[in-house]
Amino acid sequence: MQVDDTLLNRLEKLSHLKIADEKRAEVIGQLSEILNFVDNLNELNTDGVDDKFSMSDAATFMREDKPACDTKINDDIIKHAPQSADHFFIVPKIIE
Amino acid sequence: MFEVVIGLEVHVQLNTKTKLFCSCPTSFNHKQNTNTCPTCLALPGALPVFNKEVLHKAIMFGTAIDATVNKTSYFDRKSYFYPDSPSAYQITQLYTPVVEHGKLRIDFENGSHKIIRINRAHIEADAGKNIHEGDISKVDLNRAGTPLLEIVSEPDMRSAEEAVLYLKKLHAIVRYLDISDANMQEGSFRVDVNVSIRPKGDEKLYTRVEIKNINSFRFIQKAIELEVARQVEAWEDGTYKDEIVQETRLFDQTKQETRSMRGKEEAADYRYFPEPDLLKAVISDEMMALYSKIPELPDEKMERFIKEYGMSEYNASVITSSVEMAKYFEDMMDEGISAKNATTWLTVELQGRLKGDMNITNTHVDAKKLGLLVKRIEDGTISGKAAKEVLDKLVEENLDVDGVIDALGLKQVSDTGALEAICDEIINANQEKVAEYRGGKDKLFGFFVGQAMKASKGSANPQTINEILKAKLG
Repeated sequence: MQVDDTLLNRLEKLSHLKIADEKRAEVIGQLSEILNFVDNLNELNTDGVDDKFSMSDAATFMREDKPACDTKINDDIIKHAPQSADHFFIVPKIIE
Repeated sequence: MFEVVIGLEVHVQLNTKTKLFCSCPTSFNHKQNTNTCPTCLALPGALPVFNKEVLHKAIMFGTAIDATVNKTSYFDRKSYFYPDSPSAYQITQLYTPVVEHGKLRIDFENGSHKIIRINRAHIEADAGKNIHEGDISKVDLNRAGTPLLEIVSEPDMRSAEEAVLYLKKLHAIVRYLDISDANMQEGSFRVDVNVSIRPKGDEKLYTRVEIKNINSFRFIQKAIELEVARQVEAWEDGTYKDEIVQETRLFDQTKQETRSMRGKEEAADYRYFPEPDLLKAVISDEMMALYSKIPELPDEKMERFIKEYGMSEYNASVITSSVEMAKYFEDMMDEGISAKNATTWLTVELQGRLKGDMNITNTHVDAKKLGLLVKRIEDGTISGKAAKEVLDKLVEENLDVDGVIDALGLKQVSDTGALEAICDEIINANQEKVAEYRGGKDKLFGFFVGQAMKASKGSANPQTINEILKAKLG
């Protein structure tokens, strides 16, 4: 898969991130490298393998429906947010 | 002529005690961001652990709509970026949902029925809530990670009426199963409507428009009617291709219109893929047997009421339309009264007196009281007219039935001795009329009954008075 400026634009939109102009070439290079690495998997012959195939045949663990909540943890998390007020996370205005 | 094609997506918030993938409580109206933890806040390294009760409720629903319950279902990751979802994705079930191919019966007022097919019901995580305030938005993640069951119908409905009937039946089923509070105002039963039109006889599906998050049955009906009118007009004006595009629209209840929620933008790209943090969900035979046990549903209850109590189909459908009403009715019947009286006193007399926010679940008049009141009419203690006065009082204050009957002095006198004395007096005081009556003027009987009732100040049992006068006047 070819990573180019058009694809990078699209990814910026989807992630709501802005890549600085001087970084673009570098990011395109890195993304290409990652994709090429993952592309190695295409060498594997997967004919006849079920698309639900998983490395583990185990089923997910299920927990009982019993509440537990540590309010100290969520106080701490709020405190570490870039911006918070009145126990809300504060983010830039979201335009609906 | 056009045919309307409607499909519905309903997000039902399951009433489990904890969230879908963590043990945070799900309670509504708690202080913001207190029911949160590293998992539902998507902190690095925190992993989801599936809540067994969610699967239980999904299986119950699948059983109720006669669907296929997949013994193995899978979770998928739907990527989207929005501040109400700290992980920037939603865990859902795209490819193999837990419930598929169900059906639901809707009942028309004229007694006919129609089957609406349900494509699927899948488990997914809810998002948090945003409050917009000037230049900022406040984010509350208490709801983030709450379990939802998204129920998707086939495009089988052909009118706003059918859509509302479907939603009411679905709502009733969910409440009978007690898998959700299904409160539309609080957002635990959220409806998205897909509407398109086509020339009658055409089998093709045309452009569908989605109307999101409408919070009452009445508004859903209105929103569909408005949207259909907009599409028909565009078709007739020859502007259908330009004006009707696949988009999400919002229903504005003040302006009475639907309008586009977003300007033209690229189609969202959710980049679905199998959720790497969770293995498949497998239902064991034991779980399937245990979790597919469900209580009596509205349709079955309705049929039983018709058979057991000789109720009309209409009355039976009214009584079974909500689980609260059905339960109230059955509790009344425990007093050993007639179903006909129970129905009238519940649906006409009591409901007619409940104003504003009052309903059968929060009124002072519980099923036991209303049942007893009806019993007091049936055993001759009070007249139907007096019972209405008693009910007025019971709705106002938390009092007991017999106490109010005594306090208002409404007990009917059925004591034959006392009533005979009254009748004798009336006969003696009206000798002329007695003669006329005996001479064949039958209509005068009503006069004697009226006089006797008046003399007893309305407390006499009219049945007894009738019998006594008949005997005395010959």
